Amino acid sequence: MANLIAGRIFGLICLLIVMVAVTYFIRRAEKGKVPKVRRIAGIDAIDEAIGRAVEMGRPVMAAHGIANLRDSTTGPQTIAGLSVLSYVAKKCAEVGTRVIVPIRQPEVWPIAAEIVETAYRMAGKPEEYQSTDIMYLSDQQFGYSSSVMGILMREKPGAHIMIGAYWAESMQLAEVGATVGAMQISGTAQVSQIPFFLVSTDYCLIGEEIYAAGAYLSNEPALIASLAGQDVGRILAVALGIIGSLLTTVGIKALIDLTKW
Amino acid sequence: MLRRIEIPIALTIIFTLLQTIPYYFRWESNLKLVDPIEQASSIASQWVLLIVAWSIFIGVISLLQVHGKTVQKRSKGWHYSIIVLVSCIVMAIAGLPFAEVGLGIKNPVYTFLFNYAQSPLSATVFATIAFFITSAAYRSFRAKNIEATIVLVAGLLMVMSNAPLFTATLPVVKTIGQWIYDVPNMATNRAVTIGGALGLVALAIRTLLGRERGYLRGGGD
Repeated sequence: MANLIAGRIFGLICLLIVMVAVTYFIRRAEKGKVPKVRRIAGIDAIDEAIGRAVEMGRPVMAAHGIANLRDSTTGPQTIAGLSVLSYVAKKCAEVGTRVIVPIRQPEVWPIAAEIVETAYRMAGKPEEYQSTDIMYLSDQQFGYSSSVMGILMREKPGAHIMIGAYWAESMQLAEVGATVGAMQISGTAQVSQIPFFLVSTDYCLIGEEIYAAGAYLSNEPALIASLAGQDVGRILAVALGIIGSLLTTVGIKALIDLTKW
Repeated sequence: MLRRIEIPIALTIIFTLLQTIPYYFRWESNLKLVDPIEQASSIASQWVLLIVAWSIFIGVISLLQVHGKTVQKRSKGWHYSIIVLVSCIVMAIAGLPFAEVGLGIKNPVYTFLFNYAQSPLSATVFATIAFFITSAAYRSFRAKNIEATIVLVAGLLMVMSNAPLFTATLPVVKTIGQWIYDVPNMATNRAVTIGGALGLVALAIRTLLGRERGYLRGGGD
């Protein structure tokens, strides 16, 4: 018989509430009631960045971070980055510009290559797909960053899109991108790297915005509706934060005990 | 009949559940049977390790294709590609796990290249971050608007609170720097972390429902 593990029950309940909310909003959208989602300047700017690269006759560099797909917190950032790559590749294939994808994790290479190749096929230009533009560079963090800096200097892309998990190399990549005059759109959920991206790129997606990017770009009502379901979790988190602060201030530890349930 | 895109979606759902269920549930039985889901989860994790190990070969093939083409076409910087190709091949051969013939991680060529090429090169590239931070600060720390001014003032105070020249002559900057770090920085940090976690959960739910398809062949069928 399966039993719930003590200490994780409260987390499971919160997860189920968010799951139910997301599912509810998806079902609602399928019936035609699509909620309005605020514009995210960084995501809207992707088209502008690609257009700028086309006008300049330069390629687009689209990276999805340096994390693998296995880690529970950074892996989803790579998935979010790949969803953005999917959109960028489609746009680049349509307008006929090169898209360069630097890769650190070898297990991501087949996925990225498949995404870009599919984009060119869907645009009816399979002959324009260049497999050597999807480059595995190095699994070493600074081997990867020095390779990307070299590519940026040689290829001088018109647009540099970096969405995914980044660590210390974020500043190097963003600064070299700025040096070569690329329009830069960055995004990460790595809290320690957000300030670097904010000051050195034109647009920065902060934290949860990168997870919303795939849904936002897809323009599918059901996916956009799932973002509204996420707000239920946000309301829950804020309510628990306020109630917890007030109760702890007056010496009541009930909520803290509940989170340990 | 399953379409091509539905197979990876089904696999994603199955393996996500295999990893999630054992986190919340434990199988208990008088027969002391091994928890079947946890056992399946463990096997799946081992598969992942094997797949990742094999994917390294894909990475090496991509590396050889890209740099081989660069050398073949004599593209810009092609001579650097020769260094990459030679280093890759030498390290791969020297590191082969055949200790009886002197290869492996104790091979002198392997250790020499690791200690005197890879490690110092990595450390050097890491160290250049200081210069990039300086150039980024020079470009960005300008009081163009209210937000940029806040960043500029907070950044300057943080720099001062960590510089002995200022902390010795004006000790209050240490206290201000610590307050900025502990209060506004921490509050923002937690807000972004909670928001990120919620976004992650929503992404996981979309993936579990088979709705998030951007990472699968461009989301098409």
